[in-house]
Amino acid sequence: MKKIFAVILALTMVFALTAVAASAQDNVYSVAYLVNGNLGDKSFFDSAEAGLEALAEAGRIDYITIEMGGTDEDQPTWLSTLYDVSESEEYDVIICGTYQMPDYLKEVATAYPDQKYIIFDDNTYVGENQNVLNLTYKQNDMGYLVGTFAACMTTDTSLDKINPEAVVGFVGGVDSPVINDFLTGFIEGALAVNADIKVDTRYTNDYVDTAIAKEYGLSMINDNKCDIVWGVAGNAGNGAAEAALETGKAWFIGVDSDQELTFSPDLAALTLTSGLKNIGNSLIWVFDELDAGNVYWGTEVTLGLAEGGVGIVTDKNFDKYASAETKAAVAAAQEAVLSGAIVVDTAIGANAIDAVALRDSVRP
Amino acid sequence: MLNFLKMLATPEFFYSIIRISAPILFATLAAVVVEKAGFANIGLEGLMMFAALSGSLVSYYAGSWFWGFLAALATGVIMSLVMGFFAFKLKTDIILVGIAVNMMGSGGTLFLCKVITNLTEGKAMASTTGLITRSLCIPDITIPLLNQIPFLGRVLSGHNLLTYLAFLFCLLTSLMLYKTPLGLNIRAVGENPDAAASVGVSVMKIRYTAMAFSGLMSGFGGAFMSMAYAQGWSLDMVSGRGFIALAAQAMGGGECLGGMLSALVFGFAQALGIKFSAIGLDSNLASPIPYAVTILGLVIFALVRSSRIRKQHSAAALAKGKAKAES
Repeated sequence: MKKIFAVILALTMVFALTAVAASAQDNVYSVAYLVNGNLGDKSFFDSAEAGLEALAEAGRIDYITIEMGGTDEDQPTWLSTLYDVSESEEYDVIICGTYQMPDYLKEVATAYPDQKYIIFDDNTYVGENQNVLNLTYKQNDMGYLVGTFAACMTTDTSLDKINPEAVVGFVGGVDSPVINDFLTGFIEGALAVNADIKVDTRYTNDYVDTAIAKEYGLSMINDNKCDIVWGVAGNAGNGAAEAALETGKAWFIGVDSDQELTFSPDLAALTLTSGLKNIGNSLIWVFDELDAGNVYWGTEVTLGLAEGGVGIVTDKNFDKYASAETKAAVAAAQEAVLSGAIVVDTAIGANAIDAVALRDSVRP
Repeated sequence: MLNFLKMLATPEFFYSIIRISAPILFATLAAVVVEKAGFANIGLEGLMMFAALSGSLVSYYAGSWFWGFLAALATGVIMSLVMGFFAFKLKTDIILVGIAVNMMGSGGTLFLCKVITNLTEGKAMASTTGLITRSLCIPDITIPLLNQIPFLGRVLSGHNLLTYLAFLFCLLTSLMLYKTPLGLNIRAVGENPDAAASVGVSVMKIRYTAMAFSGLMSGFGGAFMSMAYAQGWSLDMVSGRGFIALAAQAMGGGECLGGMLSALVFGFAQALGIKFSAIGLDSNLASPIPYAVTILGLVIFALVRSSRIRKQHSAAALAKGKAKAES
């Protein structure tokens, strides 16, 4: 009896192995996407999900999405979920993202060296595990376009709510390299249009407290005469849009996703554009490269404008309110960055410039 | 520096102090009353989160802020009574009940928001910001005549309806505690439940009443957060105001007026931090100012109290010694 059982077991294992080999040949990857938050954020997580959905529809991957929750109480489950999914050995690639995951991922990736992982929007431990691909985004490129746009708009007094002072605002989440990378591009883009422009930068030190972000927004608009405010602080950033609505003296620019589509009508009406981080596109790019035989495991890949990793919204309100000159300036900036004629400085990594000094040099 | 002082001397600065203090004041009143009744409700944060969510969802579905506002209050009261049921009837430690409500207030509200919006809107939303317009928020009130006064008018007029209610309730709660039979009973139950029971006061009823009151105030606070301060509910939006209120209650010596002053001190510190950021102070220094002020306030309060107690002790000891010498 025991012998028969052993034979059956051995046979199933052989079948299982050939099955895996067959699927690898067809290049249908089995993917697990671990969300350290929830879908419905209209931002990173939804963007990644959309990219995977597109890949699945094209028959290139099979994937499951596991929502692990984003609150403090959920955090202990992140590590155990990573372990469980890795241990199952069912997946060719495991995807997770954001600055909150690298420590957990490093531990698990070390324990399972044969499992491949992708982490988006983080580069904390690049190269420490040869089975991890770090995807990052040139938010400085995106910032440059937004800065160019904001600087053009802030002196276009033919538009309602715009005052003559060349002051634009930036509400960031935390004074950290990633947020300052947005800021660096923003300031450089703005300076390229107008060398005398002032940029009022505030940090809410928080990504959830909308009310405080609103207080910061009100102070920027009332005290320093900002008429364009870019909110780069997650949910809290929306508070800046509410400040613009309450005072009726400013416009808002969104971030990560097209916020004009997700806001209620009155907030959407004053959202001129949004800087985009296309996580979904970047995942599609990775699988394109995999199919083409290019592997990047153990390295960091930074996706900019050229790869569709970042961008700026140019329809709807942008199209409606921006003057022909503004549109031309943004298009020219995009061309210049794409062609490499302009290299936007970064606040991240070895080539980082002193973002704090830059920030203080343009303070109103 | 001159620029900075100029910013402080604006009506907007004083206006913002009042606005920042209002939600904390609501929660502080909740903390004051339950403390008078002899227990602590540390679940204010969670109660406010639930009230904030239900307020913004109902106002969207009903198409009117009024029903959302009522829903927020009802949510606060019902949840607090459930807390009371667990704590008083089922004898769970009330601190643990409070912790549970706070945890649910964070993850549970998000879960509910996603389930409910998935049912009604066809897609799960992680916040209600996309649903709520300004007209679904509780309106601001311009007070005639007062708004004509220069400077002061711009500080005191034009606040949200709930901001005025917060300060009104501060007065009313104080009156309730010290001028009504209910207040007397609450304080009696808090001081000595057995003594209160011996004269026929229903201790349970009073505790539930105090709990419901704290829920009502949290309902106001939650409604303020999602329907007046911010436009719509989002994850963890109460951001510790329920906990700051507990500190404000302690700092204010457990009294309504003291709690109000503490809330205003906190509001002042927060507003000051924002003005500091306007002149370029590092955000890592500016944003902890309110918390530093809270800790400082608690230290001062503790010092004052301990020196008062020491004085009382020494006075008592002197009196005792005197009595001994006389006998």
